[in-house]
Amino acid sequence: MDPVSSPQRQPRGLLFYAGSAGLLCMMLVEAAAVIGRHVGIPVMGALEIVQAAIVPAACAGMLIATLRGAHAAVHMLTARLPATARRWTGRAGALLAGLFFAALCSGAAWLGVEYWNTYEQSEVLHISFRPLRVLVALTAAALAAAFIKAAFRPGKSA
Amino acid sequence: MSGALGVVALLALLALGVPIGVAMGLVGLVGMTLLLGPEPALIKSSVVFFETLTRFELGVLPLFLLMAHLCFAAGASRDFFSAAASMVGHRRGGMALATIAGCAGFGAVSGSSLATAATMGQIGLPEMRRRGYSTAFAAGSVAAGGTLGSLTPPSGALIVFGIIAEQSIGRLFTAAIVPVITQALLYMLAIVVLCRIRPGIAPPSQRVSWRERGAAIVRVLDLAALVALVLVGIAVGWFTPTEAASIGATLALVLCALRKRLTWDSFCEALALTLKTSGMLYVVIIGALIFAAFMSFTGLAEQIASLVHGMNSGPVTTIVIIALLLLLLGSVLDGLALMLLTAPILLPITTALGISPIWFGIFFVRTMEIGFVHPPVGINLYVMHSIAPDIPIGRVFKGVLPFLAADFLHLALLIAVPGMALALPRWLE
Repeated sequence: MDPVSSPQRQPRGLLFYAGSAGLLCMMLVEAAAVIGRHVGIPVMGALEIVQAAIVPAACAGMLIATLRGAHAAVHMLTARLPATARRWTGRAGALLAGLFFAALCSGAAWLGVEYWNTYEQSEVLHISFRPLRVLVALTAAALAAAFIKAAFRPGKSA
Repeated sequence: MSGALGVVALLALLALGVPIGVAMGLVGLVGMTLLLGPEPALIKSSVVFFETLTRFELGVLPLFLLMAHLCFAAGASRDFFSAAASMVGHRRGGMALATIAGCAGFGAVSGSSLATAATMGQIGLPEMRRRGYSTAFAAGSVAAGGTLGSLTPPSGALIVFGIIAEQSIGRLFTAAIVPVITQALLYMLAIVVLCRIRPGIAPPSQRVSWRERGAAIVRVLDLAALVALVLVGIAVGWFTPTEAASIGATLALVLCALRKRLTWDSFCEALALTLKTSGMLYVVIIGALIFAAFMSFTGLAEQIASLVHGMNSGPVTTIVIIALLLLLLGSVLDGLALMLLTAPILLPITTALGISPIWFGIFFVRTMEIGFVHPPVGINLYVMHSIAPDIPIGRVFKGVLPFLAADFLHLALLIAVPGMALALPRWLE
């Protein structure tokens, strides 16, 4: 996990607000469910709301980590390479990551199409899985695009 | 054969600096494509991708991270250190003891070795140097103390292990309590012994009044109560780890407000850092699960398990061999990569030998922790060097050696007495 302290102020945009909304929704709904259970007022379907709220938080988080270049990697060897070689290994790594997420995007889209007419939904609150599947496929596409863009960005390593 | 090739390919990609999650996912996807064909490989990987993102239990990760960031914003690190320093700081080696206690306290809210070492290093290291402590001893004690963050529940490493190994995160947290306490005690013993042998490395300083001590203790009571509520709640079954994380994050927000440390900026900063870190971890977990699926198709773990079984070496010898392997790999790989690469292979082997997966999780994280302070990687040592660049890295390495000896002793104890990890969860059940 990361160092808790960060000297830099983190940028905020649409991804930040969408992810934060999901995160806070998870936190408050689950806390309300626990309190409700202990005082005898159960919050029905809290688990399903949390399950749905995780998706925007996780998707936004993955995109933020990618755009900030914050993915965990082993730099022991690359740190000892000359700058040019380091730049090229960075580009190659970003390209591979782009291809990986492009494959996941196609798989996620494929599954989305397969399940589209099965009306997948949660049991208690009947939350449809369709928007979640769309969001997951779009996130994979955005991750692929971000990595590929980084691989071909002039003068910068990915 | 395909499994071994997969591991080699993964190591090559990791060495080239490919992000850990991507490297694991890519090897898993390509490996399954070669074994099963492109369609099943793509479907399996995409199912893992979607199910991981919608997995309720994974909510524990961002919520505990949010709790950590909010506690940090509330001043947890400085307050934990100040409380410990006011109690024992005046004794010979007391500031080092306070650093270890502060690391254990802050580790309980940060769940991360690196975070604990970096944060406590910024507080404890200058204070020890100001009081005339040996630089090697001071840096070594913070670097070693930082490793407590990895095992102290709610530990990020244990959460990731629980997800990868499909084990109860609550039981892992409960099982970690005694090992963390004994680890901290052994570090403190190392400090006391060192100060007896070489009194000059940590001179005593002025005692603070009982009034100041009381005030310092009162300042951490709320944070200590929050940590205790979360841990006790999980241990006795008041709530699940995900529920505990949400309660912890909510209460951390309230504490932050009560301490008048909650500003719009600090709140947004905590959210932004939580999203970034959890996003990074989600990619790693997705990749690791795809890689684990590939490994299960290769049968590599079963082949190694039957090889081990054929050697009639017994569980203890096998665990010692695994410990040596992990320490060796831990000297070239970082902790997360080490866990995600080896856990899917080693877990079936140890399970076949009748070793509890919960104990194995604690043992694994404990061994991984040692990698944070042993050369050549020893990431915590470099963190210390980056905080105090005037302390040569060689002196930091030298300073951590006595703690490394305590680490090996602790690991040996954990292997010899599995009850250290297993007794508490069994007793609570």
